[in-house]
Amino acid sequence: MISRESRENSKKKGKIREETEPTKVHSLVETLQLLQSENEVLRQELLRYRRLPSSKIGFTLLIIGVPVLVASIAATSTILAFIGLSLTFWGVLFLFAKPTKFVRSTLLDSTALSSYTTIDRIVDDLNYKGKPTYIPPYPKEAYLPEYLKGLKEMIVFISAEDIATTPTIEEMAKKQFLVKNPEGICVAPPGSGLASLFEKESRVDFTKIDLDGLYNSLPTVIMNNLELASNFEIDAENELIHVKIHDSVYRDLYFIEPKLKSLHSVGCPLTSAVACALAKTTGKLVTIAKSQVSPDLKTIEVWYRIVEG
Amino acid sequence: MQFPLSISDISLWIAVMAIILLVTSELVSPYSEHFGDFVINKARLRLVALILGASFMVTILLREIG
Repeated sequence: MISRESRENSKKKGKIREETEPTKVHSLVETLQLLQSENEVLRQELLRYRRLPSSKIGFTLLIIGVPVLVASIAATSTILAFIGLSLTFWGVLFLFAKPTKFVRSTLLDSTALSSYTTIDRIVDDLNYKGKPTYIPPYPKEAYLPEYLKGLKEMIVFISAEDIATTPTIEEMAKKQFLVKNPEGICVAPPGSGLASLFEKESRVDFTKIDLDGLYNSLPTVIMNNLELASNFEIDAENELIHVKIHDSVYRDLYFIEPKLKSLHSVGCPLTSAVACALAKTTGKLVTIAKSQVSPDLKTIEVWYRIVEG
Repeated sequence: MQFPLSISDISLWIAVMAIILLVTSELVSPYSEHFGDFVINKARLRLVALILGASFMVTILLREIG
């Protein structure tokens, strides 16, 4: 009897141990993430103190350079002339090449946060289970009657059921938020503005190019023109389109507590903009099949699915 | 009182500056460990580098004509 009881007790203890170990790991992971976020905040603080505005450097160089240049003429000294010319030139250069609008990347996260929180609250409140689907807009030049003008806007449809469906043309044209057939909501994608900026910067209309053209223009505009990431790779992987982003300016969004569910389903502004671009180019529905972020937040990987609509 | 640098001196100075600026504009990146703190308009830096490069060519032409 005693031995049976002790066996049962040991079984219970084993169960508790099984339950506590994942909890421990989970709490450790949470602590690690918290420490990493604190580290990031401290790094930003340090950078703020380290940074010297280029205008201050420019004025300092000019103040030293101009008198030296004048002195070189008075003394007819070649060395002084070279020093003065260089200092004056660099002073003018720093004033000319200073960034006109410099925005910290943390500001981007703060401004984007509220829209994701709103989407999360709506989806949780309505208990919607469907995957957000990017619906391509009609091309800008396409003629549409007045009552169908709403179809020229990019939207994301979140269905109530876990099936990839789209609302009727009439409902989309009315720019409705709550859609009845099929039940769901239509919201503006967080990256639609960014996708328009991509088109403006690359001077390409995404509706007029093919996927290969998009694969060529997107990395250039994201890495070189807008400097939103240090590296951006996009390629076809079986039925999916795989995107790998290094050092995204929106990477800290993935770190915010409590976790934003819509960030993975709808995508961060950058991944959402890529989804918009894909939808525009293919003219088909696009969903985010999977997204993952490396523990150090350096790499964001997203797999997009083109849905035949 | 006259400016102590000749046209060949200025030509050489312009060439050196153009090279430095072109290299800098290529290296400056917000993601770099070393140049990450350097806040500057890269496009304008490159524009100045290209203008200096063109100016160097002009000084060479001036010397050849002269």
